[in-house]
Amino acid sequence: MNIEGYEFPEGLHYDKNHFWARVEGDLVVMGMNDYAQKMAGSIVYVGLPPEGKKLVQGKSFTKIESGKWLGKVFSVVSGELVAVNEELERKAKLINEDCYGKGWMFKIKPDNMEELKNLMTEPAVIQEWLKAEIAEHSKK
Amino acid sequence: MSTQLQLDEKRRKAITQCSRCGFCRAVCPIFDLTKRPITNARGKMILMKEIMEGTVPVTEGVAQALLRCTTCMNCTVNCPSGVDPQEVIKAARKDMVAMGYDNLFKKMGEVVEKYGNIYGEEERHNWGHKKGKAPYALFVGCVGTFREEESVGEAIQLLDLLKVDFTMIDEVCCSGVMEDVGYKIKEELALRNIRELQKTSANTLITTCPYCYRVFKEHPSYKELGLEVKHITQFLKDFDLGVKTLKKVTYHDPCDLGRHAGIYDEPREIIRKIAPNFVEPRRSRENAMCCGSGGGLRGSFPEDSIEISRNRLSQMIEETGAEILLTECPSCLHNFRNAKLRKQKIEIYNITEFIAQLFQEGREKELA
Repeated sequence: MNIEGYEFPEGLHYDKNHFWARVEGDLVVMGMNDYAQKMAGSIVYVGLPPEGKKLVQGKSFTKIESGKWLGKVFSVVSGELVAVNEELERKAKLINEDCYGKGWMFKIKPDNMEELKNLMTEPAVIQEWLKAEIAEHSKK
Repeated sequence: MSTQLQLDEKRRKAITQCSRCGFCRAVCPIFDLTKRPITNARGKMILMKEIMEGTVPVTEGVAQALLRCTTCMNCTVNCPSGVDPQEVIKAARKDMVAMGYDNLFKKMGEVVEKYGNIYGEEERHNWGHKKGKAPYALFVGCVGTFREEESVGEAIQLLDLLKVDFTMIDEVCCSGVMEDVGYKIKEELALRNIRELQKTSANTLITTCPYCYRVFKEHPSYKELGLEVKHITQFLKDFDLGVKTLKKVTYHDPCDLGRHAGIYDEPREIIRKIAPNFVEPRRSRENAMCCGSGGGLRGSFPEDSIEISRNRLSQMIEETGAEILLTECPSCLHNFRNAKLRKQKIEIYNITEFIAQLFQEGREKELA
């Protein structure tokens, strides 16, 4: 779905830290949403922690940078980091080019898939939340 | 509004002095990356000569080309004709702005004025250290505060471990960087820093950032400071540190500390005290290759900036086989850490950060 010019594909889970989650077998794949990648500008760096790192839903575990901005990456679920998108090491701007596809960031083995229920999936809910985010950001 | 380059006689002479020998190509970090003549000092000198002669018009493309330089001075120290291209390039950047070719750093100037830092952060980290009167005042700068906070924290901890009586201040950006990218230092911010520093009654200002060091020491806006200015390596070189590592260590000379400020020996004196296995890279001191973060390049061409850093890092790893890379500049540190590939096992620190960690390791061993 397109919300105010930003793509938010259906079938994904979205958190309020601007990351998306997709179930892939027994793993959860995560990345940055379209609104966030546009606001960030051209992304030049994503920290890629070692596999095996323990993650907690809603807690930051690495950093992401564009030329002008430094942000935190928050985990979409609690679990173990099992894979990173190594393409991002030399080409972090894949996140700008294809944030839901080739620009995926991390794969996590969740402790409990039920945690995904804490994320947003309903289009109306996502729309209301994003509009509020856009309004908040435009005040700055 | 001017429509021509306003370069003074000295700079015009420098442009015509360029013999186009191309020696600068061998040491230019951007030419090394792009192989495009315009990215190198020789190409820029030719361009500016043709603009001066009226054969090439000033365009947005020219303004952008002039931004693609880290001002590392490697061209300067290797120029057989005695030209200082980076100094001419910085002057030409100001001319571009005067001609109406504002660049992205105009916005940064507005941000610096509004927020007191180059990143637009509303709050500056509170280090929890005293802010009052002391014989030494410590200034940490924007890059350290907002991009390498942990490293700065370790430097502060080190000074405490060494029982240095120092105070910190409510800093704002030294704002010297504006002069390098076509604009002017923010006088009001400079005055605020001077006022805050003078309130400390300190005799000496210690900076962790080589760029801030240069601004405080050299820029006319800080001439009323009244404090001796030292980079932290100058301050620490005579301390008896009492810690050691047996790991193989190498050192990267930051351009702002080395070529620009002439500080080469002090960091090495410190490293030799703590690392008997210190190995110099082939290109070191005046000939050190740039990390890519200076001259505004990290803001204007961030991908180039990180790629240059990657090249320098790979060069140092290959030449030295070091396990530890030390430097003492928050910008170099940040760029290297961004550039490091996962397969590269080298650890990268500022010297002060590394020493603080050695102290910590020593304490943990004692307690164990």
